[in-house]
Amino acid sequence: MKILIALDAMEYSQNILKDVARLAQNTLADLVLLGVQNSRTEQPNETLVTTLLQYRGDVCSYFSDDEMPYGELDSKELSQISDSAWQLSSRGIKECLLRISTGSVAKQVQTTAVEVGADLIILGCNGKLGCEWDGEMNVPLRIAKDAACSVLVVKQPKNANQIVSILDQSFVSQDSLELINQMVTLYETGLKIIGVNEKKSGTRQNAMESRMIDLLKYYNDRNVGAWVKLIDSGDLNEHVTNASREGLVALWMGKESLLKKLFSMSMVDKLLESTRSSLLILR
Amino acid sequence: MLKTLLYLNEDLASSIALRFTDYLNRFVKLSLYVTHVEEVDDKEQAGTGWVRKTWQDGVESTGKQIVNRMLRTENISCPLAGRPKIFVGDREKEVEYEMRSGLYQLYIEGHMSTSGSSDFFELISSSMYTNSPCPLLVVKNLSISKKFALLCSDSVDPAPLVEKTMAVLGDSDFEFDIIFYKFNDGSELQILDKNEGGSVLQETESLLKTAGKAASEVHVLLGTPEQVGDNLKDYALIASTLPRRESMRMQVLANSLATVMLVRDK
Repeated sequence: MKILIALDAMEYSQNILKDVARLAQNTLADLVLLGVQNSRTEQPNETLVTTLLQYRGDVCSYFSDDEMPYGELDSKELSQISDSAWQLSSRGIKECLLRISTGSVAKQVQTTAVEVGADLIILGCNGKLGCEWDGEMNVPLRIAKDAACSVLVVKQPKNANQIVSILDQSFVSQDSLELINQMVTLYETGLKIIGVNEKKSGTRQNAMESRMIDLLKYYNDRNVGAWVKLIDSGDLNEHVTNASREGLVALWMGKESLLKKLFSMSMVDKLLESTRSSLLILR
Repeated sequence: MLKTLLYLNEDLASSIALRFTDYLNRFVKLSLYVTHVEEVDDKEQAGTGWVRKTWQDGVESTGKQIVNRMLRTENISCPLAGRPKIFVGDREKEVEYEMRSGLYQLYIEGHMSTSGSSDFFELISSSMYTNSPCPLLVVKNLSISKKFALLCSDSVDPAPLVEKTMAVLGDSDFEFDIIFYKFNDGSELQILDKNEGGSVLQETESLLKTAGKAASEVHVLLGTPEQVGDNLKDYALIASTLPRRESMRMQVLANSLATVMLVRDK
């Protein structure tokens, strides 16, 4: 698993590091710590470099020496990899890359995620006024909307009393299930699996029910409290908005997803505003 | 051994019910029978004499295949006490008749939790439920919990609740709590001390004490049916008397993600 963590110097970025470290421990993930500067310069922004180095140290501090999969940094300075990007790699069992790029945050996060082959993007956001990133309201939304991989927007770490996973008839990858499993472990909470009923769906409905029972058995066999519930597609928006107030909502938004059809991006924006915890968009 | 009748269909609810029954058997030794009713339209019913018998055998065979497929797929460890009982006709009537004639001590079936309470109320208002000779277990989810709860409110008669619940679960390895429900339209669920519960709660506790049983925790839940129903999910099952009307307690049971056991109070 490769996780791209979008970071800036704000408190919300610092607050997600513990969750990132625990997720990295559980999945033995390769990490890419990405900072984005808005103006093109000959050298990367020094404050950003110092911040990323500090964050890397913070993440590593959660690992014991025996468990540490990330090696020492290759150098003390970032090397230029293009006109507007610098990076610093490390050796070890797993990679922990620091990267700084230039341009629009949302665009750079998406581009870098594709370039490095990230499975998951994690970013924090300021919860005081909805969900903002360095004063801009729609950065997390744009990343969640257009990213090719799954995205976890963390508003308040450790504030989820349950994980609410919304399931439809579309294909759900094993990676997505594992990610949900990781969230359950991370937040030490139960999982509510909501199946969305679409009228006249026939065998696809049966396929969803069969997947729901598989999930329920999977988690119960692992001693994880999991519960299933069916809702009609017409009740989806209200149900998800209510769930987001108390728990982490995980939505499958793949190309074929019914949720993608039912759930407009303005609704995702609303969710990002209303949630007190985090939102996970699975792809 | 508790003589138990489990209704099976080929769906998600039955799959969960079968698994839950297997889980329940770890705590209460069950003598398990399974049943299924093949419901047919009047138009489909063919002929008389051997023609009808042949047609009925064919329909029953379909039912047997459904049950066997379910049993094979789920592969539970709880043994069956007898062959599956397959009937052709009206589900409610056939199951009610079987419950009575078989002298079962517990009936189990699956029912998926949905966003509204109307499906649940329709189920528990059926004659099969209102005339049931034994407690009814409505399985909504699997569980890893080792605890059940007795749910009471002002509309609950404590005597049948305690007597009939303990007849099923009294000798089990489950621990149990007593919960008294009070409606409140606030934004947050409140958990109050048992002193806020009034006489029904006191009587329930006292009856249990007389029966030599002690609850681990006794408290009052104050909130909307949705909030309370969600809060009950950590119990293996919730036992209460069968609601006769669409009361707030019925709404709590409908919203409960945990399995519900209903006992008749008359």
